[in-house]
Amino acid sequence: MLSEVGTLLIGLGLAATLYAAAATLWGLTYKDDRWLQSGKNATDTVPALTGGALLLLALAFLNDRFEIAYVAQHASRALPLELKLSALWAGQEGSLLLWGFLQALFAALATHRPAKLEVAAPGASLSNALPLLAPETGAGSIGEETTPNLTETVRPLIPWATVFLNGITAFFIAVTLGFSNPFALSSVVPADGLGLNPLLRHAGMIFHPPAMYVGYVGVAVPFAFALAALVTGRVEGWTAAVRSWALVAWIGLGLGLLLGMRWAYDVLGWGGYWGWDPVENAGLMPWLTMTAFLHGAAMQDERRGFQGWSFALIIASFVLVLFGTFATRSGLIQSVHAYARSNLGTPFMAAIVVTLAGSLALLLWRRGALAPAPAQTASPSLLSREGMFFLTLVLFATLTLSVFVGSVLPTLTSWIGSRPFEAGPAWFDRVTGPQFAALLLLLGLCPLIGRSAAVLQQLWSRSWPIFAGTTLTIGATALAGFTQPAALIGLGLVGLAGSTALLEYALAIKARRDNTGESPFRALGELLRRQPRRYAGYLVHLGVVLMGVGIIGTRLYPLEQDVTLTWGETAKVGDYTLLLENMQQESVDDSLGTWANVDLYRNGRYVSTLMPRINRYRALEQSIGVPALQPGLREDLYLILAGWSNDGSEATFKVILNPLANFLWVGGLVFLAGGALALRPMKARQADPRREPQRAVGLLVAFSLLIGAGWTMWGLPHGTVNRDTARPIPGSPAPSFELPLLDGSSFTLKTPPEGITVVSFWAPWCATCQQSLPVMRSVWEAYHDRGVTFVGIAYQSEETEVRAAVDEYGIPYPVGLDREDALANRYGITGVPESFVIDTQGRVAFLHVGPVSAEQFVQELETLLEGETP
Amino acid sequence: MRAKPNFIIAGLLILAAVFYLMVSSTQETAHYFLTVEEVLTLDETASQRPVTVSGAVLGESITYDSALPRVTFTIVQVPGDPQEVEAQGGLAQVLHTAVQNPAAPRLTVVYDDIRPELLQHEAQAIIRGHQGADGRFYADEVLLKCPSRYEEALPEQTEG
Repeated sequence: MLSEVGTLLIGLGLAATLYAAAATLWGLTYKDDRWLQSGKNATDTVPALTGGALLLLALAFLNDRFEIAYVAQHASRALPLELKLSALWAGQEGSLLLWGFLQALFAALATHRPAKLEVAAPGASLSNALPLLAPETGAGSIGEETTPNLTETVRPLIPWATVFLNGITAFFIAVTLGFSNPFALSSVVPADGLGLNPLLRHAGMIFHPPAMYVGYVGVAVPFAFALAALVTGRVEGWTAAVRSWALVAWIGLGLGLLLGMRWAYDVLGWGGYWGWDPVENAGLMPWLTMTAFLHGAAMQDERRGFQGWSFALIIASFVLVLFGTFATRSGLIQSVHAYARSNLGTPFMAAIVVTLAGSLALLLWRRGALAPAPAQTASPSLLSREGMFFLTLVLFATLTLSVFVGSVLPTLTSWIGSRPFEAGPAWFDRVTGPQFAALLLLLGLCPLIGRSAAVLQQLWSRSWPIFAGTTLTIGATALAGFTQPAALIGLGLVGLAGSTALLEYALAIKARRDNTGESPFRALGELLRRQPRRYAGYLVHLGVVLMGVGIIGTRLYPLEQDVTLTWGETAKVGDYTLLLENMQQESVDDSLGTWANVDLYRNGRYVSTLMPRINRYRALEQSIGVPALQPGLREDLYLILAGWSNDGSEATFKVILNPLANFLWVGGLVFLAGGALALRPMKARQADPRREPQRAVGLLVAFSLLIGAGWTMWGLPHGTVNRDTARPIPGSPAPSFELPLLDGSSFTLKTPPEGITVVSFWAPWCATCQQSLPVMRSVWEAYHDRGVTFVGIAYQSEETEVRAAVDEYGIPYPVGLDREDALANRYGITGVPESFVIDTQGRVAFLHVGPVSAEQFVQELETLLEGETP
Repeated sequence: MRAKPNFIIAGLLILAAVFYLMVSSTQETAHYFLTVEEVLTLDETASQRPVTVSGAVLGESITYDSALPRVTFTIVQVPGDPQEVEAQGGLAQVLHTAVQNPAAPRLTVVYDDIRPELLQHEAQAIIRGHQGADGRFYADEVLLKCPSRYEEALPEQTEG
């Protein structure tokens, strides 16, 4: 029943969206407003129908309806609630349904027609228009970004955009229904589902796919308006009209990419976040072209030309969205995402061909309208604002081309008759690195040049802080030890770009203060309010700069080391010392978890306890490693459990130090926050009080998404705990103490002690301790007259039992009770037996978690005694 | 942009530079994308180059020394051409047939890293590395997919 209703809803959605496209087309052809209205009404029902289907699917997941194959394949009874919901888009069928729904929703929202009445009021808002679909434009670098009345530009575009958007929606719904229906029934109803792929059980996976899809469907809106502009021949104003939609798409793609990177970093356990994998590339390419589009649209809105670029870029973006899905689902490209080769290849290939052929034909047909206006035919210098933007667009285009060529290199090289070549990360780094560096350079130079077409002298007087900032960044990073030439060049560019953006803020704030006497914060707020594109744009640039720092650090300076440790053993990696405390195992839900407790010290000081683990999922016969992560401003320490010996006494780890990694994540958030601020409507629309609640909601949603993203990055524990106390590791001073002994006297460990001291924590109730007491006794007998002092500290024990054990085992050395765990806390022990061998300088020389053999003790004591008598 | 020759020249220069980067990187860093059979027939000079090879994992061959760590396993020839894979009944079927064919070419892979979690019988392995003089393949990077378990088995990427 559920299955049939779900399929029916999708079918009705398809019928409604096809009708909407046809009715609108009819209305356009015969100039009949009733058909247009009917088409719009139908457009509005599609999100309700597909949303209903999505809701049904969610209900099926919540109620464990395993008769539906998709539910059985992606969930199980034991799966927690939030993961059941994220399982909704864990597979192709659900993803496509979500895509179709979002596409329908965006189509309905984007095609609200602005009311005619508003046209009379110049510069007034379009009250019937969705807040996002507002005609806006920037008045360039001179004054406030204002909104000229573009209603007349937008209105005629809407019916055509309705046709194209419904066509796109119809494609996705039809593919869902025809090739990958999420409501298909299982042939046999299983008692329990397979469960969610363990790799997908991560908070990032709850947000990453929807963010990506918002990006993908968002691209379709400006694309549809671009086609509408071409059809109607109104090629000038459309970019301003769809600016907010383009931004939404761009933010969605950016957030999706960032969360995907973070997921890879947290979950995949190779210490990296970007592997130039084809699926990553598939998401990156439309983001690159959309970034270029936003820049080109800014130029077009300033009436500086670039119409051809805007059309080409938005068409490229949409085709790349389709191509990404085609490439990864058709088996054309090998990928870590390992989507099974599915039957989606053909429809997507057809869609790409139709889209490309149709759009290019329209573009050719209208090429006359795209001819530059007379004012633009004068040849501006490359060092002008236009020139800088032109170079920026070219670089974004070549970057996209590079990523594309790299992704299809095996296919491409076999086509040209060579042996098939495959592009690894080294290929991508080599090809894209210089292009990204050139973009950073432009990012630093562009505002300078745009600002002062003036004389060089003025340029210098304005730019000395930038050169100072650049030099300072290079100097500081070189002093911090980042001295590779590539890193210095990269960080120099980062310094240049960063100081430029900061200088822009400083100059603008100063100018406002000089004029109005506002406080700096108010001035900043006003700048962001009045010229959101420009000043939020600089925030985006600052984000890029911070990300650049992170990318340079992690790409050029990662340190990787394999270490094998026994319990109580330490190893040094960089400034860090790792101490394996023990291994533990626990059965949880559908898996058996094995983890190591590793105490982490930096320069001898305890930082935290890391718990890298491997979960063995029984039903899935699959093991998944969960790395532990200690984030830090200077570097992240990333710890992976590689394996352990059969008795669990020894474990092997991979330790990765990722310098400056957090700059990447912080930069990503700054970057997205800049995008969200740019979404703020421009000045002219601010005057409309009716927009206040909508604007507040919009900002709230944007920032809660960012906070959510921040939470997934830093809010989660990442396999670390912080203990109040920790063991002193070898080389660090042993805490001094005074212990009341059983015989009424007391033992004092002074600093420095009187000789070599063995401090042994034990307990009469502990079987391992009982076995090691004779060992301790034999060692004492051999060494007590060679200046070695022994002291036994009874841990969490009753005095009578301790006395009985001392008598039974004939413990010859002083023993005292550790009241209220005072000493156990000072020595950071977490169980017994544990022992510390302290040298004559009062430093811990050796420590043992668990029992120690007599041979081991003898060897250690001999080493210390030999060292003493040179 | 028609009326701006300086723009066109600058654009073409950038394009030429990027084209040069792509070609030179392909010559210097790109891997041959080969099947097991092709790797086994590589001559001396060609075996110096980094290679990407794909094959089906033979479950019983997997050994892991966690203390080093080092994984060794054997992969079996599968066709390199996606269309041929499709013609033989899809990837899962091809992998299944491959591991049961004792006559198919095989290659021993040595990977000095943590045992990848998806390394199991009949998984598809895509391995970047180079062919050693001892006839074994030394992997720098191992990519695995298990099409049988999930309809779309998710990924694992390990880098070495």
